[in-house]
Amino acid sequence: MENINKIYKETPFQTAGPFLHIGCMPNSVGIEGIYNSDIGTNPFPNKQSEDLIKITGSIFDGKGEALDDVLLETWQSDENGKYSEVCGFARFVPDKITKTFSLFTVKPGPVKNFDGKLQSPHILLSISSRGLNMSLNTRIYFDDDNLKNDPLISFIVENHNDESSLVAKKIDKKNYLFNVFLQGDAETIFLNL
Amino acid sequence: MKKKSLLERNYDFQPRINFPDYKSSILRAPSKEKISFPSTLSEVSGPVFTTNILGKNDNDLTLNFSKNNNSPLGHKILVYGNLKDQFLNPIEGALIEIWQANASGKYLHPNDKTPTPIDPNFAGCGRYISASDGYYEFLTIQPGPYPYPNRGIEWRPMHIHFSIFGKSFGQRLITQMYFEGDPLIKLCPMVNSIPDEKAINSLIGLLDTSKSSSHNILAYKFDIILRGANQTYFENKKEGL
Repeated sequence: MENINKIYKETPFQTAGPFLHIGCMPNSVGIEGIYNSDIGTNPFPNKQSEDLIKITGSIFDGKGEALDDVLLETWQSDENGKYSEVCGFARFVPDKITKTFSLFTVKPGPVKNFDGKLQSPHILLSISSRGLNMSLNTRIYFDDDNLKNDPLISFIVENHNDESSLVAKKIDKKNYLFNVFLQGDAETIFLNL
Repeated sequence: MKKKSLLERNYDFQPRINFPDYKSSILRAPSKEKISFPSTLSEVSGPVFTTNILGKNDNDLTLNFSKNNNSPLGHKILVYGNLKDQFLNPIEGALIEIWQANASGKYLHPNDKTPTPIDPNFAGCGRYISASDGYYEFLTIQPGPYPYPNRGIEWRPMHIHFSIFGKSFGQRLITQMYFEGDPLIKLCPMVNSIPDEKAINSLIGLLDTSKSSSHNILAYKFDIILRGANQTYFENKKEGL
């Protein structure tokens, strides 16, 4: 007998608001002694600092101002392209003074998709804040990788979009730059996950 | 290999991103169409959090910041419910984080400039990992409504913020729970960014007097549904991931 499952509606989003740090990173706003540590402060605790890259950047609003009240979350594979349940998640905010975020992480490897084809190395980035009724999602690729055969990048290029907003620029061996533009001519490509 | 794909999101049931009545969205909401593509392993995988991150009072906000056993001001409430997917399968082991204002509508946050007092015994943060039947609960106090600058001064309805991790990064949900009977709900532009009335109603915690009496507190039930996923077998390959 065929089993017809009724599909219920997902609970809708609401903005995370300006005070999301209280719930997500309480230690970062001086609420100490409740959680031992905020989650996501180190995506790969078992790695040495010499194994890590640093991705820096800012999140710009429509006026070109860099925001400091956004919550950023990333999810990625390890250097071999393997996802693990216990590594690969990071949660961070831009620095209050420089308005720049810094993510110290391993450079992900190419990830095999369900069909066996490789995706170019990438990191999922989610942005939540006041003014965003739903979290925004995008991907960070790297400009020193071959992106031609990546399924998402090819899809974007085939549809005549400029993929460059998804690509972090290499500054030197260990450093990449990745800025996000919420609006304007340079508006970042955001994804429906 | 097992192929998992997340159900397509129903945007008629979600808030509008561009919603100028909510002023903060004007300079932050992107204007271009988002790009849709089939789920990959990157979206269907996700971090797992276990109960060993939890402290004893992480889901009791009346205790977790209390000094010398002093209670925070306000009346105690129990907020509970079940976490399920779109097929109503319970979701076990999901990290649920909440944050809220105190009884006078003030957040313990350097950016909250509302001229109302902080409560030295209340921080307003809690977390829980859902049980095998998807059950979660928080003991807290009733958050107050509060004014904020929008189109002039407007008032937020009483609410609790929720952040939820499912099994997949693509199931992630950040939302707010409102309280049954609050007249401010209807007036709130953040609420009204959701075009569907049923969707709005699904964000309202319902007073549950049966649970209230046994705990000597008011209880509100708030069930949460995360995106579902379909699973199919893709080709006849060994799991290599």
